[in-house]
Amino acid sequence: MNTRKVRFITGLALGIVLAVLPFFVNNYWTDVCVSIGLYALLALSLNVILGQAGIFHMGHAAFYAVGAYTTAILNTMFQWPIFWTMPLAGLAAGLVALVVARPIIHLRGDYLLIVTIGIVEIVRIALVNDIFGITGGSNGIFGISRPQAFGFRIVKSIHFYYLVWGMCGISLLLFHFLWNSRFGRALNYIKHDDIAAEGCGVDVSHYKLMAFVLGAFWAGMAGTLYSAKMLTIAPASFNFMESVIIFAVVILSGGSQLGVLVSAFLFIGLPEVMRGLTESRMLFFGLAMMLMMVWRPQGILPPLPRVYKKALARAQALAREKSE
Amino acid sequence: MEFFVQQLLNGLAVGGIYALVALGYTMVYGVLKLINFAHGDLFAVGAYLGLTLLVSCHLGQTLPPFFAVLLVFVLVALMVALVGYLLERVAYRPLRGAGRLSAVVSALGASIFFENALMLIYGARVFVYPDFLRPDFTVTLFGYQIPGMRLLVIAVSVVLMIALQIFMLRTKVGAAMRAVAIDQGAARLMGINVNRIISLVFLIGPGLGGAAGILVGIYYGQIDFLMGWSYGLKAFTAAILGGIGNIPGAMVGGLLLGVVEAMASAYFAVAWKDAVAFFVLILILIVRPTGFLCERTADKL
Amino acid sequence: MKKFSTAALALTLALALCGTSLAADFKLGLMCPQTGKWASEGMDMKNVVMLLVDNVNKQGGINGQKIELIIEDDAGDPRSAALAAQKLASSEVTAVIGTYGSAVTEASQNIYDESEIVQIATGSTSIRLTEKGLRYFFRTCPRDDAQGLAAAAVIKKKGFKNIALVHDNSSYAKGLAEETRDALKGSGVNIVFYDALTPGERDYTATLTKMKAANPDFIFFTGYYPETGMLLRQKKEMGWNVPMMGGDAANHADLVKIAGPDAAAGYFFLSPPLPQDMDTEAAKAFLADFKATYKSLPVSVWGVMAGDAFVAIEAALKAGKTTSADIADFLHNAKDLPAITGTMGFDKKGDRVGDFYRVYVVDKTGAFKLEPKN
Repeated sequence: MNTRKVRFITGLALGIVLAVLPFFVNNYWTDVCVSIGLYALLALSLNVILGQAGIFHMGHAAFYAVGAYTTAILNTMFQWPIFWTMPLAGLAAGLVALVVARPIIHLRGDYLLIVTIGIVEIVRIALVNDIFGITGGSNGIFGISRPQAFGFRIVKSIHFYYLVWGMCGISLLLFHFLWNSRFGRALNYIKHDDIAAEGCGVDVSHYKLMAFVLGAFWAGMAGTLYSAKMLTIAPASFNFMESVIIFAVVILSGGSQLGVLVSAFLFIGLPEVMRGLTESRMLFFGLAMMLMMVWRPQGILPPLPRVYKKALARAQALAREKSE
Repeated sequence: MEFFVQQLLNGLAVGGIYALVALGYTMVYGVLKLINFAHGDLFAVGAYLGLTLLVSCHLGQTLPPFFAVLLVFVLVALMVALVGYLLERVAYRPLRGAGRLSAVVSALGASIFFENALMLIYGARVFVYPDFLRPDFTVTLFGYQIPGMRLLVIAVSVVLMIALQIFMLRTKVGAAMRAVAIDQGAARLMGINVNRIISLVFLIGPGLGGAAGILVGIYYGQIDFLMGWSYGLKAFTAAILGGIGNIPGAMVGGLLLGVVEAMASAYFAVAWKDAVAFFVLILILIVRPTGFLCERTADKL
Repeated sequence: MKKFSTAALALTLALALCGTSLAADFKLGLMCPQTGKWASEGMDMKNVVMLLVDNVNKQGGINGQKIELIIEDDAGDPRSAALAAQKLASSEVTAVIGTYGSAVTEASQNIYDESEIVQIATGSTSIRLTEKGLRYFFRTCPRDDAQGLAAAAVIKKKGFKNIALVHDNSSYAKGLAEETRDALKGSGVNIVFYDALTPGERDYTATLTKMKAANPDFIFFTGYYPETGMLLRQKKEMGWNVPMMGGDAANHADLVKIAGPDAAAGYFFLSPPLPQDMDTEAAKAFLADFKATYKSLPVSVWGVMAGDAFVAIEAALKAGKTTSADIADFLHNAKDLPAITGTMGFDKKGDRVGDFYRVYVVDKTGAFKLEPKN
């Protein structure tokens, strides 16, 4: 069996386990899995920026926050149903990304990294200081209503579980198509060598910006789910550390979609599994982070090389012809 | 005007500390391009170790303060250097071939590890350096009273910066470090023992960080197990602001950051100072994409 | 006949269930920050509650029922708190003590309410927590508006005219600052400086210099003790002699250590009284136990508030209320419970009733001295 098949089967098995899991575990573990699903969603969206396009972006929590606050404000002030706010949350996050990224997208590597850290801090401070008088300051916003779809109210942990993981499933599918599209190939090209990409006529700034906006859009929608799950949001949930965790999930994953899921399970699940260690649990979590990275320096599951089936078939046919 | 000068002095004092932490940061950063999130925590480890030596081991009482502090500086710098060295061997060296960002995650793990180790060993309560260690004199310059400690911090930063700069530019080892920074493979072909050079970098950087931790402890008194994170972030900001791998740049970046924060507090709002500081940073990087004093390492093109 | 046998079966079953529930331990949860920036408060909360639970169990429990304490870490962060709450709910606790920060408590509130678990918060003073009409939510600490009124009264009484009001943008400190500002409206006291500093820093000279330029005759910093200590220390270094006051988050044994006794002398703060200043039986007994077990005093009043929460649950159990609905009803009508910080009762919203803010002054030796009431 080749790696591709192994991965496919692993992914399928993981999917089946995820599909039935909530029937076998209690509410707590269901909630842990909801949390993991949210981070998986965020990490999938960051993966477009960081994993596919290779843009050093450590401020993803900023867009997540914009989405979550958009939902919270529209829902509590204007009584919009949660699901209606979702595309708007995405749009708001995407718009913010477009505005802030436009002037900085040409910065290289670490300079971009520190700028994105700056953005997440600026967003957090703006939220804490109750910008425009609508964010509720450090208390945040409470009284967000439960989402409702076709007369069905999503209340229980298990409902959220299927909502979040369903969204994850859709994202996996969409990002898979993205990866196989012209857009995905351009992003990978930019990651490997942006100067060569520019030379081949790829509009590097444009593609980078699009990746940024798309990732932010998705993070904004994840923000909607977070608000709906927590019912109350506060700036403390969107600090720099949050960005760093999403960043670390993507790096540990290696960049493949399956890797992102596994890595999210490790990052969010491990501190919960280690609750028994009480005060020292975070010590061992830090240690585990180092060890996992040392164990898989390229990440848990790096993406497999692209296979171009048509080109492959042509090459094989050519080889056959020659040998005949 | 007096208000302005006073705030400028406040900013320079804070910036001096940032610069001090950033010097150790930029050493590691300039040579390895590794965003060492654990640097701030090594700095906190230094502060705690210094306190242990001064108070629990009674160095502060048995020796005259000046010598006690000097001795503790050297001892702690050595100990933290050792920790830094071990950290590099265990957590960073195995990742050297992989992408740069892998090591960042490892560094993050190390940061969480050190923070919690400090909490478990020393407890979660804050610790305070004894007051008598602090030099208590003021200097009057152009009619402004300046506490001696502030001048001392800036003087130490400047002296260290000059020493590091001379070390990097005028010695053979320094030249080797610069070579490693530019291209590790080529440096190896030139007969440089890359592993040894990197180990040395990890002795110097964290050692400086540990010493800075003691200075902060003596200056401000209060230390806690989470203090490393914010100082680490400021130091990183300062290092980038000055230009990656640029030692005088780190110094300028630190001072600039401190002054911008103080001015933002003074003329805008204290609550927004960090946001303003980051905003200014972004503006500077838009205008000068490779830092205030520009990058010193060569670049592949 | 068939009917009878079914009824008998149901009865035996019910009895059997009853029997097991009588023999089973009462499951009590404690949610506190064991890691993260508030770990020191969490440690104190844990020490206090563990001590009280042990005492009860040593005496054979309450009405023959022992108490099983389950402790979960909320890390001082809303997301971890939500998971900790769900974990406790899944462990089928009947009541939960905790937690400290308001935003953290808020993230766990609806989980406990939906699972019908009594929650008694200990340090969460934000007003809106009890304004939601949650049946199972209580708190042993007073609200920000109570403290804001008390602070305004002290400021007016001491005759300050131009004050500087500073918070640290945490939901607690900001809430207190806003309540104080509202309470001072129309009283002739001017607020000449109103701003927020960044907690966790070392150098507040820029803030102090700016404050000094506004020329206040009094500073009220509503934040926590580490920043209070640094402000006092740096204020003295600047040679600026202006009186300063704090809120109950400044009530911590490490405050004077950070500021130094010279800088702290004359500083005063509002706080519920410490057990060492109470001459009730409950306080004396608690203090003796605590000293014997941990060889020290509680570092702050917040651990003691967790002890008060346990007293409330203990009283409910003694009255034979073992289900969460019964405990909630009992507490809503409770008056004069013998809590460690004085008698305690709860109102319809779940807030603690009574006026128990006192003024503490730091003396020249660095000790906290209770200012006599009026």
